[in-house]
Formats: sequence, structure tokens, C-alpha cells
Amino acid sequence: MALTSASPARVPGGSPMPFVRLKLRLIANGLRGRPGRVALFVSGVLLSGIFAVAGYAIFAVPGVLGDEQAAATLLPLGGSALVLGWVVLPLVFFGVDESLDPARFALFPLRRRTLITGLFVAALVGLPAVATLVATAGTVNTAGQLGGAAAALAQVAGIVAGLLLCVAVSRAVTSAFATGLRSRRSRDLAVILLAVTAALLGPLQLAVLAGLERADWAAFGTVADIAGWTPLGAPWTVGLDVAAGRPWAVPLKLLIVIAAIAGLLWWWGATLEKAMLGTAGSGRGGAATDTRSPVGRLLFGRLPATRFGALVGREVRYWLRETRRRASLITFTVVGLFLPVSISMSGGSPGPMTLFVGALAAIALANQFGYEGSAYAANMTAGVPGRTEIHSRAAAHALFTVPLLVVVAVVVALVGGRPESIAAQFGGLVAAYGVGLGVVLPISVLAAYSLPETTSPFAVSSGGGVAKGLLTLGAMAGTVVVSAPLLVVGFFLGDVWLWIGLPAGVAYGCAAYLIGSGLAGDTLDRRMPEVLAAVTAGR
Amino acid sequence: MSLRGLVKHFDTKLAVSGVSLDVPAGSFYGLLGPNGAGKTTTLSMAVGLLRPDAGQAFLLGYDVWADPVAAKARLGVLPDGVRLFDRLTGAELLAYHGLLRGMDAATVDQRARELLDVLELGTTNKTMVVDYSAGMRKKIGLACALLHAPRLLVLDEPFEAVDPVSAARIRDILQRYVAGGGTVIFSSHVMEVVERLCSHVAILSDGVLRMHGTLDAVRGDRSLEEVFVQVVGARVGTGSELAWL
Repeated sequence: MALTSASPARVPGGSPMPFVRLKLRLIANGLRGRPGRVALFVSGVLLSGIFAVAGYAIFAVPGVLGDEQAAATLLPLGGSALVLGWVVLPLVFFGVDESLDPARFALFPLRRRTLITGLFVAALVGLPAVATLVATAGTVNTAGQLGGAAAALAQVAGIVAGLLLCVAVSRAVTSAFATGLRSRRSRDLAVILLAVTAALLGPLQLAVLAGLERADWAAFGTVADIAGWTPLGAPWTVGLDVAAGRPWAVPLKLLIVIAAIAGLLWWWGATLEKAMLGTAGSGRGGAATDTRSPVGRLLFGRLPATRFGALVGREVRYWLRETRRRASLITFTVVGLFLPVSISMSGGSPGPMTLFVGALAAIALANQFGYEGSAYAANMTAGVPGRTEIHSRAAAHALFTVPLLVVVAVVVALVGGRPESIAAQFGGLVAAYGVGLGVVLPISVLAAYSLPETTSPFAVSSGGGVAKGLLTLGAMAGTVVVSAPLLVVGFFLGDVWLWIGLPAGVAYGCAAYLIGSGLAGDTLDRRMPEVLAAVTAGR
Repeated sequence: MSLRGLVKHFDTKLAVSGVSLDVPAGSFYGLLGPNGAGKTTTLSMAVGLLRPDAGQAFLLGYDVWADPVAAKARLGVLPDGVRLFDRLTGAELLAYHGLLRGMDAATVDQRARELLDVLELGTTNKTMVVDYSAGMRKKIGLACALLHAPRLLVLDEPFEAVDPVSAARIRDILQRYVAGGGTVIFSSHVMEVVERLCSHVAILSDGVLRMHGTLDAVRGDRSLEEVFVQVVGARVGTGSELAWL
């Protein structure tokens, strides 16, 4: 190549706009000519709109009522909950829109600062960010009502800083999480610790709130005051400070938030760099050998040497080896254990929570065909019947989930001080898990979608991410509704339930599973090529 | 294998428009075409991975879309651009395919070891397929397609990214397979390979079958490459473009 004629590569001068344009272009191209995706996107827009309007209304209420004490409590606590939501929800439900996969920029001459700014600004472009901004604008209304234009102006600065904080914290935490999970085996312990810490934030918050419900109003206000001085609550209270005659607090609080954002962005940048380097040299040496027979290796020497055994063996391997699946198992373990425990410890009834935990377990299968993408073609050419496929996948998942449910039942019963209810708790969990599978399996066939082939376990394709997350939430809501009757019956039966809870729960769960899996299997028989096309990346 | 008027649209683009093709039993059939000609789309429809908008595909007399189980049982496929179950090791993947095909464990073990050995993938190797190189992935994919001794092999780009030594070995395996009564259809854009191996050739471009028949009938007294370039209608370089290079 003649070097003389090559014009010097123009290093972009740090403007994030190319990243934003690229993201918008990716969203638009993802929607073009795909009515299904457009529908998902539109429903995502609608639901985000509902969230935004509802959030605005809630935050604006104290201002409309002119209640300063309510405002001083609601704004910092509600705002903190929002920030924590940005941390927890991507980990548990939504995933992160990593259409701008950092690894793809590894070959471009970009400085780290440019890359981080660009990715950060691009992350701001999206439904969740817009919805959050609109929702928190309710605090501007409140500040304006209570303290006039100056307070409103301060609060505008506050919500912008707050939004930046939300996005920064969500990116930094998921990126750190992803980097940890990317390693194959060696750092699993560290990963689990990280998972525990991250997933604990939500339950802890719930526990604190539940505890406060019983405490007096003044104590509640104190906690809100303290929260208002942490990065979590600071951005949402600057307007109130102006209204309350403390304008000196505004620069201080904004400084706290900006420092937090800067720290988070630095952390994100550090993990990103690791991720970008990690993709190149992650291959392990081929020195390890295994002299068992191929079939013995696949089946662990235990499963039957049949088609079903092979399918289950492969699925079990995938739950252990694939980062996305491992991440969902770890998240479920942590949330499933700590949510009921924190509720029990704060004196609440863990009953409804068992429904939630059982349903959450099944959610991991909501896009089960998306995990391995077009590899499903192998099962199609081998002519695996739909029901066998569905049963084997559910069986492999149950191998991991049912022992966890036992642990959850035991822990919940013991923490609640009612060891006699272990069996009934377990029955309730199995019922919810069975119903969850019954709801989720048909969804996994009908609404399969492709996941990007990155190593990040939280990545989802661009566009429609919100709607897909909400589809999952809808499935959970459906599960809770369908399995609620059992809980109601259990509540009315009282002590009798301790005896029949286990058989009744298992029967209820099995029935729901059989209906759902039969439906899913028969649908799959008719829709195999469509499922394959749906999960093939780039189609 | 015989295809009857297969048609497939992607969005508004016509990827394959009415391909009809007969692959006689015992033939070694090469499907040639430039990039984007519709080779992969055609083969995907032929083996039941992609639902055609119109047309039929028969494998060994069974309609792929009406009687998929019977048709697929005697078929081995190496798809292109499709992932393998790559979180398994090579041996596990072969065992998986064997058991999916309903073979007994002893046969699977014996054949899997033999295939891993012949294709130099290592019988005791614990490397996951995801960490394989592109050529190794092709080889393990081919091994999966061969494991159940099908009567018909459909291979999409089997020689792509495979090193010359392995390619020679694959050619040898396939030639023996055809000599033993099997049928192979494979797609490629490497003329030398097709010319050396095939008894029959079809040329596909822009979703239309331009020429097909026995190798001798298609190429006449010219080289296959000349025929191919002429049929596909490639541009002739003038030397003026890309002058800055």
C-alpha cells in the first residue's frame, strides 16, 4: 500500500455525537421491515410513557399538596429507590443494551476518555433514560410549588445530575459484573461475592423500608435527611434545600453527585478496558485431557444413553459453562435467598414472596432458545420432537432450581421461626415454579429473540429491550396471578395447610407445567424454522 | 435429493427464485455460485432449516416439509454460518449428535473416537468447541454430519478455512463415501476442488439456477472457471479502479 497517499487518520476530537448517531442508526435498522419488532418497540414506548407519567405524578404530589414534610421524605427516598432500580433491574430483568459493544471499538484509534464519553452519552439515548427524566421532572414541579423559580431551577440541575448518576451507576455495575462473570472458572468465588453485594442492595432497601413502616414518622424523616446527603438521594433534594432556605447545600450536593459520577465512570472505564483486552486472549491451553469415552463425558456417566439424556446433558453443561446462563442462575440464587429472608427479618410475611421467587426461577427459560442461537439447527436436523426438546430443557433447569428451592424453603421457614412450615413452603415454591414454567415455556417458543454474540451476560439487542423486559415481567405477573389461588387456599386452611401444602403445591405445579409444556412442544413442532430464524443473530 | 421450484424472499429481496434441481443418488454434486447467490438459502430450504415461500424439497423420496422425521433420519448436514453447541468439547458434541440420532452408546463411542482421530481433533482433548479455530470447527461439524452414516450429505462450504492437509483428508473421506454408494451435495466457490471431485455441477447466481448437469456437460472443452465467470457475468477489471492502492 502506498503510504504516501494515505491521508492521516483523523482522530475524532472527543465528540460523543458519532456514538449517538450510531446508536440511533442501529435502533432504526433493527426496526426496519420487521413489524414484530416495531410492535415490541411501540409497546416499549407506551409502557415507558406510562411509567414516566406515573412517576411524574407521584413526585409532583407533595408540591401540589404544599406538604413540605412529605416532600422532604418522598423525594430523597423515592429518588434513591429509582437509582437502586437502575442498578438492580438490568441485572435481574432487562439486561443492558450493548448494541455498542465496547469490544468492537478496540481497533479504532480512540482515547479511553473519548470512548467512555461516547458510550456514556449513547447510553443516555434510550427509553429508560427518557422515562426517568420525565418521571423525575415531577420533583421540579414540587420544588417550584414550594420554593418558586429559584428552587425549580436548582432542581432541574438536580434531575439532570440524577439521570447521569442513574446511567453511570447502571453501566459501571453491569460492566464490573460482566467482567467478573467472563472468566471461566478461576474467579467464580469473587463473582459470587460481587453478585451477592450487588443483588443485596435491592432487598436491603426493601428491608429498610419495611422496618421504617413500623417506626415513627420522625425516624423516617431522619433517614430521608441522611439519604438526601448521599449520592443516591442528593440530586433529588437540591430544589427543596432552596425552598427551605439552605441554598448553600445546592453546590455541595451537586458536588457529591458529580464526584460519584466521575468515580463510577472511572470504574466503568477500568472494567471496560479489561473487557476489551479479555476478548482476544481468553482461550485456555489444550493441555488438559480426558480419557473417558465421549458418551460418558457428555452424560456424566449417569444420565440414560438416550436422546433425552443427551439433551439434558448438553443443557446442564450449558447452565454451567455459558456466562449468560450462569449469571441468571447466580442472580436467581442471590435474589431468591435474600429477598424472602430480608422480608422475614423485617417482620413481613414471606408468603407472597415465595410466589415471586418460584416465578423468578422460571424466568430464566423465557428466552431459552436465544441462549445458544442458531446452534438449535443441529436439533432440527436431528429431528428432535418439540415436546422432547421442551421437557429436556425444563428438566435440566429443574436439576439446578429444585435444590435451590429446597434451600429457600428451609431458610425462609427457619428465619420466620416456623420450622414446621418447611414442607408447605416448598410446596408453594414448587407450585409457583411449575406455573412459571407453564407460562414461560410457550412464551419461549412464540416470542424467541436473538441475543448478541458477546461475552457479556447482560447484553441484549438494541431496540425493544424495554418491551422484552416487560414481557418477562408480564410473564411473572401472570405466574403470580395463576398461582395466587393456592396461596389464598393455604391462608384459609391454616394449620391443615402444613400437611397438604406439599402434595397440593406439587400437584398444582405439575399440572400447570404439563399444560404449558404440552402447548409449547406442539407449537414448537409447527414453528421450528421460525424459532431458528428468530434466534439467528442478524436476522 | 430433488428440489421443485423453491422460492424465498427476505423482506423485499428475492433471495432464491424458483430453483429446481435433481441430485441423482450416488452423485458428487457441486453447487457453485458467487457470494450472495443464494447457495446457503437453497441448501437451508432443502434440509428443512428454512421454510420456503413456495416449492418443495424431497430427500431420498421423502418430502422434507411434509414428513420431516423420515427425511431427516437419513441425512447429514454441515450448515454454514450456523453456530455449533460450542460450549461442549469435541467429544461431547459428537456424543450428543450420536445420541440425538438414536444410536446406541457403544457405536457412538467407537465412531466418535475414530472421527476425532482421523480428523486430528484429539480424542482426549478437553478444549471447548468455542475455543477451536475456524478450520477445526468445520472439521468437527463435518464429523457430526458423518457420525450416523447418512445416505445423503449436504455440506455448505465444507472446505472454507480448512488447511490443505485437512482438506485433502476430507476430500479423501468424501470420495470413499461416494464410492460406497453415498450422495454428496456441497456448495463452494473454489473451482479446483469442484473440478477435482464432482461428477455433477450446478451454477447459481442471483437466486437463479444458471446451468446444471454433469461436470463434462457443463464445462465442455473449457475450464470450469471460464464457464463460471461467463455464466455469472462478472465485470472485467480495466485497471483504472482502485488506482490509489
